[in-house]
Amino acid sequence: MSDFSNSLQTAVSGMRAQSTRLRHVSENIANTDTPGYRRKIMNFEQVSKDGAKTGEVRSAGISLDRTELSRIFDPAHPMSNEDGNYDGSNVDLVVEIADAREAQRSYEANLKMFEQTRNMSSKLLELLRK
Amino acid sequence: MDIRSSFAAQGYAATKPALTPKGDAGGALQDAAKSFAATLQESEATAKAAMSGGADPHALVEALAQTELAVETAVTVRNKVVEAYQEILRMPV
Repeated sequence: MSDFSNSLQTAVSGMRAQSTRLRHVSENIANTDTPGYRRKIMNFEQVSKDGAKTGEVRSAGISLDRTELSRIFDPAHPMSNEDGNYDGSNVDLVVEIADAREAQRSYEANLKMFEQTRNMSSKLLELLRK
Repeated sequence: MDIRSSFAAQGYAATKPALTPKGDAGGALQDAAKSFAATLQESEATAKAAMSGGADPHALVEALAQTELAVETAVTVRNKVVEAYQEILRMPV
C-alpha cells in the first residue's frame, strides 16, 4: 500500500469516528428528557494491526458522564419522591451542541485531508501525461 | 578475412546481454496487475454492500477513491508504454 492510499484510509477512519461521535451526541440530545439518563461520552483510540499502530483512529466505546442528575420538581410525575422531585438526565444541551460542532469541524478536517491526498496523487500522475 | 566484420560481431555479442531483460520484471508486473484487480473487486463488493445497506458510505467513498487511484495509475502507465512503443515503430531504420 502506498502512502497515498494509507492516508486515504486514515482520513476515512477519522471521518467514521467523528460520525460515531455525532451519533452519540444525537442520542444524548434525544434523551434530554429521559429520567435517569446519563450522557454518553465517546472515547477514541488508535488502531493497532499486528501489534503496530497504523495511525488510524476508531471509537473505543463510550463512558457515562458521572455528574449528578438534575432534580426536577414535578409532584404529578409517577417517579417523583415524597418531596415531589425526580431525577432527570444530566444532559446539558449547550455542551451537546458544542460537542456536535466539534465533531463537524474534525470531520471537515478529515475530509480536507482526503481531498488533498486525491489532489496530490492526481498531480503526480499528471507528470507522466506531459 | 575481413577483420572488421569479426570486430563488429564481437561488439554485437558484447552488447547483446544489455538487451535481455534483467530481474523478474514479468513477475512484478503480474503482481501489480493482480493487486489492481483485487482493488477493483473490493470496490465492487463494497458498492454492492452499500447499495443493499450493508456498508457505511465512508467505506464506499474510500473504496471508490482507491479504485480511482489505481485505475488512473494503470491508465497513465499504459499510455506511457503505448507511446514508447509507437515511438520505436516510428524510428527510421
